[in-house]
Amino acid sequence: MGVAPALAWTIALSGGGAALAHAVERGLRRTMPDVDPGPAAPVQIGVERAPAQTDPWFYSAAPAIALFGVALALVVIPFGGQLVGADLEVGAFYYLVVLDFVSLAIALGGWGANTPDAVEACYRAVAQLVAYVVPLGLAVIGPLMMARTLSTVAIVEAQHRAGLWYVVAQPVGFALYIATGAMQGYRAPFTEPFASQIHGGVLAAYGGAQALVWRVALSALLFTIAAMGAVLFLGGYAGPIGGPIGMGLKTLGVLVLIVLAGRFFRARSTAETLALSWKVLVPVGLLNVGLVGSLILLGVGQSAFR
Amino acid sequence: MVLHGFVVVGLVGLFVASVALLAAAAIRRPRVRVHAPDAWKSYRFGLATFALIFLAFDMEMIFMYPWAVVYARIGVPALLDMLVFIALLGVGVAYAWRMGALRWE
Amino acid sequence: MEIAPALQIVLFAVFAAISVLGALGMATTMSMFRSGVFLMASFFGVAALFLLLLADLLSLLQVMMYLGGMLVMILFMVLFSSDPGGSMMAGMMTMTRVEKAFSRGLSRPSPMATPHGAGGGMDMAAGHDMSMTTPARKWARHFGWAVAVVLSGALVLRPVARATERALPDPRSPERIGDLLMGKYMIAFEGAGLLILLGIFGAVLLARPSERPDPEDRGHLRAAVDAPPPPPEEG
Repeated sequence: MGVAPALAWTIALSGGGAALAHAVERGLRRTMPDVDPGPAAPVQIGVERAPAQTDPWFYSAAPAIALFGVALALVVIPFGGQLVGADLEVGAFYYLVVLDFVSLAIALGGWGANTPDAVEACYRAVAQLVAYVVPLGLAVIGPLMMARTLSTVAIVEAQHRAGLWYVVAQPVGFALYIATGAMQGYRAPFTEPFASQIHGGVLAAYGGAQALVWRVALSALLFTIAAMGAVLFLGGYAGPIGGPIGMGLKTLGVLVLIVLAGRFFRARSTAETLALSWKVLVPVGLLNVGLVGSLILLGVGQSAFR
Repeated sequence: MVLHGFVVVGLVGLFVASVALLAAAAIRRPRVRVHAPDAWKSYRFGLATFALIFLAFDMEMIFMYPWAVVYARIGVPALLDMLVFIALLGVGVAYAWRMGALRWE
Repeated sequence: MEIAPALQIVLFAVFAAISVLGALGMATTMSMFRSGVFLMASFFGVAALFLLLLADLLSLLQVMMYLGGMLVMILFMVLFSSDPGGSMMAGMMTMTRVEKAFSRGLSRPSPMATPHGAGGGMDMAAGHDMSMTTPARKWARHFGWAVAVVLSGALVLRPVARATERALPDPRSPERIGDLLMGKYMIAFEGAGLLILLGIFGAVLLARPSERPDPEDRGHLRAAVDAPPPPPEEG
């Protein structure tokens, strides 16, 4: 794709993805009235909120950085062989790095707003970053090993040539991805940085256009996580359910799965999230890497390369 | 070839960040002042050990990405090498767990 | 190379400026949090320079390490610093122009209406000049300029650039790096694992409660650690 079409496609995908995720969450929230909405909580766009003693640089930059991170991540998500913003050779790794900017944005916005709720949200967001990064990396490594590449398009092509969706070969990896994806997106049951106990954390300190930017960024974040899950584990735009429509359906499926899976667990506090991540998810992730390594040596998923 | 993708990345980033900042600056609504006590002070910070272990594993993840790409081509030696690497770190996590350090202070 | 030389120079200048200004901001701002973020920004500038050398994987590794690592480091700084937001320092100290530029927006209208001279710049009152732009030793200023001249000369004359230029471009960097790690640099790879293990041991050691009683002047820090977090309030 040329540069200008790629730019237009990424912008459109961000907006459309945010709208889709927002609509799905709104619809599903009616079935889960007692679950903390977390980042999906309604924001006031009509009224601007001006905290009295902000750090002006951080406070104004934070929503833009969040949207920046999510839009950059969507550049590498393919909806078709050519329908991708930029097929970077290090696409999957780039995706993981760039989504960390959202955590940075929440930390900056929380500290910058200088209200007790917001600063508390800043600490919780950094704690959640410490919790999700390593298990998420371990979950993503499985498909990377099977596809022998970091490029998202090549991962989809490898699943297509092997005739195998990686979720079949690595169910543990997929479950780990869903769990850490919920952590990364601050969805239930890992909603601590946006909990209603702190009145939505960072979101309470923002109003007006900035609140709209936060809303778009947080909804598009969930969409991006779901889309990457579809690319890594469900064969992306290839396979029996193919093309951009198929990819959209798979993304929707993963999105609904992440949102619905959260309802079965009560909200975890930050301490519990960290303990869960380091005592359960990281050992499971390491075992998964070993398991996937052994499967590859036995030839699973390797018919793509013969 | 490499840079073409990153040019798109750079442009997307610049565009999105500028639009977000301009929208925040240009679109004005009635303001509500939020009064809150100053919250910039030393704070109880319970995740010290988790943070240090996270830094250690962050370094490990750096090694795992290039390894993952060449793993299938090299085969068993790569598996053994990574097993040694993971075992070293697993010993560390197990030690931390046994010493009761994996705990929110 | 894929981009025009003129554009390369412009991009290099922009990213190098980001790196240098980030480092300058880190050293001179009054807020600890801003200091950490400026360091992050400086390293992002360096990561962009890696991209100009077509090292995409290394550039992303740099960003990843410094995003996660610096956020954690900032929280450690906030734990141990008495004025992490910089509002008190910015209000009390007379700052030089550089420091004012990087600390803009931090000072608060003081509830105590002390005339500026009486409370003093903290620097003069304590007898020590606390500004970051004052050299600690007489010769430091000249040494700094000498280093700047040497580095600028190295940039212009580029004594070691030929080897780097011969190695470019290097596509498929993940495979190349993976092969090198599994082959030539295997010892370094496992040695790094060992070093990381030692780091984890150190972290666990630091986390253990000490058997000796704390001296009295650590009491306030212990109190801050043990005190319950402030209850969340709505403004």
